[in-house]
Amino acid sequence: MPWEKREGRGRYYTRTRRVDGRRVREYIGGGVPGEIAAFSDEHKRRVREETAAHLRERREELEALAAPVACLEEAAEILAHATLVAAGYHRHRGNWRLYRDA
Amino acid sequence: MTLDLPEKTKDELRELRELSRQAEDGDLEARVKLQRRVKAASPEIVAEASNLAALSETPMVKFISAGDALMCEALPKRLALMRAEIAGENPTPLEILLSERIVSCWLLVQVVEALAAQQIYSRYKKEKTTLFSLPFQRYVLKWQESASSRYLAAIKDLARVRKLQMNTPNVQVNTQINVIRP
Repeated sequence: MPWEKREGRGRYYTRTRRVDGRRVREYIGGGVPGEIAAFSDEHKRRVREETAAHLRERREELEALAAPVACLEEAAEILAHATLVAAGYHRHRGNWRLYRDA
Repeated sequence: MTLDLPEKTKDELRELRELSRQAEDGDLEARVKLQRRVKAASPEIVAEASNLAALSETPMVKFISAGDALMCEALPKRLALMRAEIAGENPTPLEILLSERIVSCWLLVQVVEALAAQQIYSRYKKEKTTLFSLPFQRYVLKWQESASSRYLAAIKDLARVRKLQMNTPNVQVNTQINVIRP
């Protein structure tokens, strides 16, 4: 919890951050400085969450648009491959060649 | 809702893939069976895939045009022209499918380009937008590369099928350049 309560001294606002993998707690204080820091942190957190949600939405939109194209590509690849094999072709070191008996 | 091929078509494709694998391994019986299956299944696969391409076209066109009514009207017409031009005269069912694939891939390239342009524009206008973030830029760049290479692969596949179906040998052009040294 960012707000801490001390015996007989009221509330303190604290901020926790990571420094070289360690959690470091910074004591901001109570009263007006504490309230300002709490408001600023809350605003930053809300912007971060909104950004993440917006980007997620855009990603999902792009992926939903691209999914049918991937299906179409797969169908075309399988049919093209099958047609060439049925016509007597085979792949030899990445190149398509005609079977001698075809 | 994600657009997808019907289960029956997917089963047909799975069967074709399996038969192709067996035929490529030298199974002559599988090759004969594959010839029959390709002939029987091609029209249905092409029809279903074309249906899917048509259904997926509308949301992509809406995305690219971003509310521009003229673009929204013009783009489907341009796609129809592209389709006809790429497929050519009297196309085989496979050529129709490969042409659909090229057009869909081209449209996907345009979608990703539109997204990238949107970011650059918002940066240029110094709008306080959430779109211009570094991870998202990286993500869009990855999509740009992938969409472009898929588009080129689609073109290459159609060219290869046409060349092999015509059964024409490779044309090798040798040019001799004589350099006269003083």
